[in-house]
Amino acid sequence: MAINLTSKKILIAEAHANLRETIKHIFGSLGARFIVEAESGVDAIAAMKKDKFDIVLCDYDLLGKKTGQQVLDEAKHLKLLPVNAIFMIATDEHRLGLAPNAVDNKPDDYLIKPFSLKQVSSLLEKCDNRKRFLAGIENEIDSGNLFQAIRNCEKMLELDNKSMHLQLLKMQAELSIKVGDFKTAAKVYQDILDKRELPWARLGLGVVAYCLADYDNAVNTFQGLIKQYPAMLEAYDWQVKAYEAMGNDRLALSSINAAVTLAPQSILRQKKLAMLADKTDNIDLAQKAYTAIIELGKNSIHRSFSDYSGLANTYLKSNAADKALEIAVKMAQQFKADPEAKLRAALLEIEIYREKGNERLVERAYNKICELNGQLNKQLPRELRLNMAKIFCLNDNREACDEILNDLVKTYVDDKLFMKETVALCNELIGENYVETLVESLTQELVDFNKEAAKLFKKGDIRGARGVFEQIAAKRPNNPKVILNLIKIILHDIKTSGASPEKIISTQSYINTAIQLGIAHDQISVLQTALDTFKNEIEQ
Amino acid sequence: MPNNQMLSIGFPAILASSVHDIKNSLTALRALLSQLENIYQDPKPNEFKHLEFETNRMNSSLMQLLTLYKIDLSQFSLAIDEHRAADIVEDIVAQQSTLLSLSNIELITQCDGELFCYCDSTLISNALCTLVNNSQRYCLSKVLLSVTQENDYIVFSIEDDGMGYPENLISSDYKQVPQLDLVTGNTGLGLFFAETIAQLHVQGQSRGFIVTDNGSQFGGARFKLYLP
Repeated sequence: MAINLTSKKILIAEAHANLRETIKHIFGSLGARFIVEAESGVDAIAAMKKDKFDIVLCDYDLLGKKTGQQVLDEAKHLKLLPVNAIFMIATDEHRLGLAPNAVDNKPDDYLIKPFSLKQVSSLLEKCDNRKRFLAGIENEIDSGNLFQAIRNCEKMLELDNKSMHLQLLKMQAELSIKVGDFKTAAKVYQDILDKRELPWARLGLGVVAYCLADYDNAVNTFQGLIKQYPAMLEAYDWQVKAYEAMGNDRLALSSINAAVTLAPQSILRQKKLAMLADKTDNIDLAQKAYTAIIELGKNSIHRSFSDYSGLANTYLKSNAADKALEIAVKMAQQFKADPEAKLRAALLEIEIYREKGNERLVERAYNKICELNGQLNKQLPRELRLNMAKIFCLNDNREACDEILNDLVKTYVDDKLFMKETVALCNELIGENYVETLVESLTQELVDFNKEAAKLFKKGDIRGARGVFEQIAAKRPNNPKVILNLIKIILHDIKTSGASPEKIISTQSYINTAIQLGIAHDQISVLQTALDTFKNEIEQ
Repeated sequence: MPNNQMLSIGFPAILASSVHDIKNSLTALRALLSQLENIYQDPKPNEFKHLEFETNRMNSSLMQLLTLYKIDLSQFSLAIDEHRAADIVEDIVAQQSTLLSLSNIELITQCDGELFCYCDSTLISNALCTLVNNSQRYCLSKVLLSVTQENDYIVFSIEDDGMGYPENLISSDYKQVPQLDLVTGNTGLGLFFAETIAQLHVQGQSRGFIVTDNGSQFGGARFKLYLP
């Protein structure tokens, strides 16, 4: 039976007017009444901002150089698509192999050109059935309740629907990785592979090895896949990650370069290539990648002024100060409404004019930086603020430098990678133990808070203890111990004074934070099980 | 002397872009044909059937050309997953639906709904579509598309009631690059493509393959695609 689209809101994004008309006719034959047309990606996004569509059929190649993939990425990023909406990309076969990677969003399906009414109808029906079947899992994922999504997955596996069995196992394994349950994920993938060699299951096993820091094993798995499936871009993406984790940037660069050669249209891969080429002093390759990023970035949500500053820096490295200045000016023009871009341009100008030996202009650029820093201060990204601290330190403005560093350490003390970067910079510029002293005072603050909470807890003032932990969590949102203690105290509160929707929601939200922080699965799953018991009680 | 501009863009990109344009044209052409057909009462002129057949053939040839080119460049990967065989059959019927509605050919399908295969469904469906399209042209009144299980293989069969395959397309080495038969215009590219794609499907020691003979239960040609 053909799908009936009478009540569905449909968006057709297609560059060619005659094809749009054709597709409209096809949808009309299936009962569609509410159809909106768009000829470019910009129009498609504007339409999605105005209406919530049930079905979006978007051509891969649209006017204005924005691809169907970019429309999907932007729609997901801006949350323009309802969770049960169907998003299909119309394309020809050759694009399929080069479509999404580990970082892109995946459409519900691809409609291969040229297509007939029957093909559209059949594909829509398939997508609709799949969406309905998986709604219980997708809705939980959308709400961030990954444990509940896994449980729903397990329940649906018991239904023994043969058509959906493998799809459910795939979701179960991917969700298990997300919550850090690598053992279950590995078992699911291995069980599948014992019966049948499937590339995505093999890839999954490699991802698990990567997550367990078994990088040699991960690299071997990805290499094997690339040998067998030379255009499997996801395998390249994960191989790059594994090499990076091993500290082998040269091999990572070689892998990402191979992937970009296969699919040069992916801006995120080009960004990775530029970053790695820059890091390994492959200036020509970095320049080529940054240039491609700037071109691909037009109309992309991934467009950023850091692409321009990256390109300008490569010119500086190759002693082409004039060319670097040209790019810095272009950046300021392209992002003229953005003060951060002005600040980045001024940072570049310091380097450029120093290279050119013009101290007067260096000073002018520095003054501009001081002014913009005063205006923007904490609104700036942390990496940029770290760079600002360096500039102030080098210009003997210790007061401004200390102010930034103090705040950065306070805010990101629990972010190990960033702290490593901060410590390295401080050791180079200011001297040993600068950061360590700051961290010590923060640790003491944490100890004092904990003591206060413990005192209240002993007195039986659970609410008071929870309040103190919430204060700490606001100050140290990335501290695993703080988050775990807060979850435990709310669960204790529920146990002693009863559950309420507020307590359940708030505990679930902190558990989701704990998952994001990468806290071990066994620690989280105990807490999730306790919360689920209370949830069930309240539902009954 | 090499053309510098072409070198900088890259031939694969030019080829892909051209294929994309032609595919858009084919989609529009099919839609226009469909609109024109609606103007005519049944029985519709035979030319529509020929036009539909030719657009299908152009589409198949383009896809085969690009896929084989990419295989040759080692820039091609199969997207192997589990698929219900009935879904692939349904897709082929959907692709052939317009041509079927224009002719008096009966496309019979036989497939157990519980039969699953492991393959790149887009490629397999395209390869089979080309051959069903050909069968529709050379049969008298019917084509049978069936799926069965033979030991460790899932077998897609296409049988018709036509005159059967010519001698040069039976039990030949399909791996040989096809030669153009200037008299019939038959290149055998469809069989070459099906064999190439079948061979890419591997499970353990088993590999996919094709067989052609004139053993159709209706007395005509029979094509069989074996997937491990």
